[in-house]
Amino acid sequence: MSPLLEFVEDTLQLAALTFMAGVYMIRVSWIFRFHAVRERSRAEGRAEAGIGYSLSNIALPWAMESTRRDFFFYLQFVVFHLGVAAAIAVTFIIPYAPRWLQPKGVVIGIQILMGLALAVAVVRLVRRLRSATLRSVSTPDDYAAILLMMAYFVLAILAVPNRPDRGEGPMIAFFILTAFFLFYVPFSKISHYLYYPFARFFLGRSLGRRGVLPAREK
Amino acid sequence: MKKKHRETAAEAIERLPLVTASQAKARAEALPSVQGLRLKTYDPAADNVRKFLDLLAERMTRPVAVSLVACVHCGLCVDSCHYALTHPGDPTMTPVYKADQIRRIFKRRMDWTGRIFPWWVRAGSPADDADLNRLKNIVFGTCSACRRCTLNCPMAVDTAVLIRFTRGLLTELGIVPEGVFNVSRDEWETGNQMAVTPLDYLETLQWMRDDLRSDPKLAELDIPIDVPDCDFMYTINPREIKFDPRSIAHAAKIFHLAGERWTMPSRGWDQTNFGLFSGDNRLGGFLAKNLYEEAVRLRAGRIVISECGHGFRSTRWEGYDWAEYDQDLPSESVVRTLKRYLEDGRIRVDKAKNALPVTFHDSCNIARSGGMTEEPRFVLNRVCADFREMTPNRTENYCCTGGGGLLSMAEYRPLRMEAAAIKARQLEATGAKLVCTMCHNCVDGLNDVIKHYKLDMRVVQVLELVENALVY
Repeated sequence: MSPLLEFVEDTLQLAALTFMAGVYMIRVSWIFRFHAVRERSRAEGRAEAGIGYSLSNIALPWAMESTRRDFFFYLQFVVFHLGVAAAIAVTFIIPYAPRWLQPKGVVIGIQILMGLALAVAVVRLVRRLRSATLRSVSTPDDYAAILLMMAYFVLAILAVPNRPDRGEGPMIAFFILTAFFLFYVPFSKISHYLYYPFARFFLGRSLGRRGVLPAREK
Repeated sequence: MKKKHRETAAEAIERLPLVTASQAKARAEALPSVQGLRLKTYDPAADNVRKFLDLLAERMTRPVAVSLVACVHCGLCVDSCHYALTHPGDPTMTPVYKADQIRRIFKRRMDWTGRIFPWWVRAGSPADDADLNRLKNIVFGTCSACRRCTLNCPMAVDTAVLIRFTRGLLTELGIVPEGVFNVSRDEWETGNQMAVTPLDYLETLQWMRDDLRSDPKLAELDIPIDVPDCDFMYTINPREIKFDPRSIAHAAKIFHLAGERWTMPSRGWDQTNFGLFSGDNRLGGFLAKNLYEEAVRLRAGRIVISECGHGFRSTRWEGYDWAEYDQDLPSESVVRTLKRYLEDGRIRVDKAKNALPVTFHDSCNIARSGGMTEEPRFVLNRVCADFREMTPNRTENYCCTGGGGLLSMAEYRPLRMEAAAIKARQLEATGAKLVCTMCHNCVDGLNDVIKHYKLDMRVVQVLELVENALVY
């Protein structure tokens, strides 16, 4: 393994992770700078139940009409985000637990997952380009996010066998792109996962107190 | 040859001018609310953009900020909005577009990427008052704040809250539709949204009482005013005094037959609250506090709210926050009171008296923002021979299209009627002859839909059906 690959796998990642963690801490404190909302009415439902339901919404495709009607869209979401999770996991597994990638089946499994995620990314990009509505609201940041993810999946598929002896190029590119993500993500829409728990918490608390959430049986 | 651009409904809406005739009149008359700077009027000489941006920063709350940053532009909200569904080729009708109009300003002003690289996230500030007027037309004219998109957003972006927040900023500058100004003025000046005088109020109650007493079996009936220590204080919508006092009579008759100890207050009786629609928390707090304090003055056991969607939401939920008033008495919708009467056998009913097929329209403010979906169904199943659900229903029901204060904004009516097509189809599919709702706004909104789309049905309220089914 070359010193460059060793550097981008380890030192660069740790530096980028530290940077991202720092920026996220600032970001969270930024959210808390805004006024808190205190509800003064007496609750009829349970805020905790509403929060729990709202946070678990991600795993309840039947909870929203939007995902219930278009289950394929939900499935795309699941595959895409599992692919993201796998790619992120690979950035840790390669430098710190490479033996986990020794079984060929594991490597192929991860590659298939990320390949499917890449396909979803393509579908999502085409959808964004074809829909007049999505085109009208999409920003350069939206397009960059999906294009970067597509590049990331391609590089991750190439890097996951963890065979620098066959050529370090794809692995170096993968880790450099990972570091770039860690620096860039806090400033882009990709950081939506940071806001997800807050948004779901606030909505769940408010509607949980009122008994709107958890949704009742129809 | 260049293709001629066909103006969309939204583009036409966005060009509507700011009408300030009522504001000028209110200033000329030196109304106390204007003099006291409670009711804001438009000042073309002021730096309104600066004021808007300062207010944006000053009033930002955590839930609003999170809803502004969390959107990923996935577009899932599009299929949940009656405006978007009825204007499939028009992106400006979608919740995400509407929310983005305030989001871009927030990003330019407060979000780090938007401040440094505005083009990257399409951040931007309003350039002048014309831009603020355009924003006014979007947030007041193209969204009924029904919250259907909120419940369908995977990120829990609360677009309705963003709309209300933006309306509140514009209200502070007097950049509002004239109807919003007029109703707000009446509420500030008279304590109720239809400028009902104390005499009108009391005389209408007496009229209803006398009318009911003409039935020998109800000779002892009273509509008590300001009686202390009652089980509850009954609060109403001024529309009931002004246009449809039968609903007060229905309630009074049912309370009487149930042997209830109740009263109406001589003031602070308006449970409606335009602060919900205009985004003006001070107005909301003023009205809600009038009502809460009246209940305390009368030492009422609880507050009962007549059938009104936004009134219920404002009085039961939001009003306490706006008024910064910790809830001290229980409050409930009259439909819950009716349910209790039926459960306890305090009134007797015969469902055969309501033989026509009835469907129920869930008010957005009561179902999606109020959590009350089962009580009206319990009651209707007890008093109607043929009750049938519309699809979708409960928290997934479509808005009557009159929500968000839109009934008071005549300039947006044509678009509202276009967006009502989805409601019309939904109503028609039930095959019902009566559509019941527990909201006065919905009564008017649904009546508009029925008339516009020539549907063979009539709007009723729960009290009317219960009263009609009474056996005594």
